[in-house]
Amino acid sequence: MNALHILRTGLSTLIPALLGLLLLSTPASSDPADSTAASHSPQSAGRPRWNKVTVELPVSQAQFPPGKGAEISGQCLICHSAGMVLRQPPLTLDEWIGEVNKMRSAFGAPLPSDQVQALAEYLHAINGR
Amino acid sequence: MQTPRFTPLPLSRRRFLSVAVGLGLTGLSGHSRAAEGAYVDFPFANGRRDLVTNFPQKGAMLLLRTRPPLLETPFEVFDQGIFTPNDRFYVRWHLANIPTTIDPASFRLRVYGHVRQTIALSLEELVSDFEPVEIAAVNQCSGNSRGFFSPRVAGGEWANGAMGNARWKGVRLKDVLDRAGIKADALQVRFKGLETGILPQTPDFKKSLDIDHARDGEVMIAYAMNGEPLPLLNGFPLRLVVPGWYATYWVKMLHDIEVLDSPDDNFWTSRAYLIPDTPFANVMPGQQGVKMIPINRMLPRSFFTNIRTGTVFKVGEMKIVRGIAFGGDCGVARVLLSSDAGKSWQLARLGPDLGKYSFRQWSLPLRLTARGSYDLRVKALNTAGSIQPDRANWNGAGFMRSVIESVAVYAV
Repeated sequence: MNALHILRTGLSTLIPALLGLLLLSTPASSDPADSTAASHSPQSAGRPRWNKVTVELPVSQAQFPPGKGAEISGQCLICHSAGMVLRQPPLTLDEWIGEVNKMRSAFGAPLPSDQVQALAEYLHAINGR
Repeated sequence: MQTPRFTPLPLSRRRFLSVAVGLGLTGLSGHSRAAEGAYVDFPFANGRRDLVTNFPQKGAMLLLRTRPPLLETPFEVFDQGIFTPNDRFYVRWHLANIPTTIDPASFRLRVYGHVRQTIALSLEELVSDFEPVEIAAVNQCSGNSRGFFSPRVAGGEWANGAMGNARWKGVRLKDVLDRAGIKADALQVRFKGLETGILPQTPDFKKSLDIDHARDGEVMIAYAMNGEPLPLLNGFPLRLVVPGWYATYWVKMLHDIEVLDSPDDNFWTSRAYLIPDTPFANVMPGQQGVKMIPINRMLPRSFFTNIRTGTVFKVGEMKIVRGIAFGGDCGVARVLLSSDAGKSWQLARLGPDLGKYSFRQWSLPLRLTARGSYDLRVKALNTAGSIQPDRANWNGAGFMRSVIESVAVYAV
């Protein structure tokens, strides 16, 4: 009785689901059972099939080079990886001061004002002109 | 997470390959090859970019920043088809808190503010309740090609690959706004995605359009890109599509639409992404006192895709030169090619017209009749009469680059 009930319930949800799949004629994803396997199954010309998507983002391997003031550069890493800084064009000291101040005023970087100069000098030393 | 396509190599081996592959690839156009450890050297300072394969739902991409991700499309992808594959489409995020799980069952798109009734639509409702529309459109970062600015400016140091062309499918923003019912004195519509800053004081990423633009029937909420759901890094499950406008307005992971009855003064609209109010947003370096306005419509551009600086032609042999062009905020009228550094121009043959906001392929058979070096140039004229200039435009934020593209080739 109990088993039958479960079977009935199972079928009553399974059959519409199967019909739905047929009607949508959606090509099966590589592993439809694993809804977190990324993915994005192709959709038919009609309605998209919404699968839950879970991804993992890589962790940055980029590091700031050693140098006087390097310890302050950890502040930059709160919001973005070091590669962003290392791939900037070489900037003048004034331009680096401007960038550091923009991070403080526009984006709220918690860098004390008395460390702006030291951080900018470090950035100028590693990537300045 | 998606299974990585390549097994990462140990560091020492990776370094070796970097040198081996990199040496063969150093060139003005920054050609690249999908090999682990490969990189591209763009012709500007700090222009080395690793080709990486470790981002979810993405193939080989050029790494500009890991967190939040900035990934550039390797340029040879643009020679492989008029639509940019989803797994090679460039990626640009502003803020580092990006949801890594999206559950479509619980996702809701809210429309509120200066409307008659607040609504919260499930994805199923969005798909089933509104007429689907589809458009081919270029999505281009405001700062695409910033690395080529001279003098250089700080920012995301892209080469030319912060753009892509896709078939976007979704619903009209107008239809969704009408469901909520816009009140008569609404001024702007503000869009917000799910990304947030790490620090509470970092402004949420929000962008606004004027009400008439938002209701023009072209701006859409896309749930599919090239026939598939969007990759998470391109904005799954919903992205605003603003045809002809720079990608800063194409808000990813769109979940929040606020109708405003006063001008949007949030940071990202009123203080970021501003351009000089001049033709082609062009100013002299150091020029002061220029009126600044929010960035808006795109400019025409064209590129070579099957030749690059260093390509060798055989003297007297016919070679089909080809590339892509787009008009910006309207269609491509003509693409012109020069093999004598711009002294004379020939009309290129245009490929199929997939709509005025799409990339358009162009091609031209070219025979170089004498040994020597040649400066090949390409420029596009759009249907509004705007043409790529001889000299690159410049502004302090590195936005909206448009210039005649040039490659140096040899005939031997």
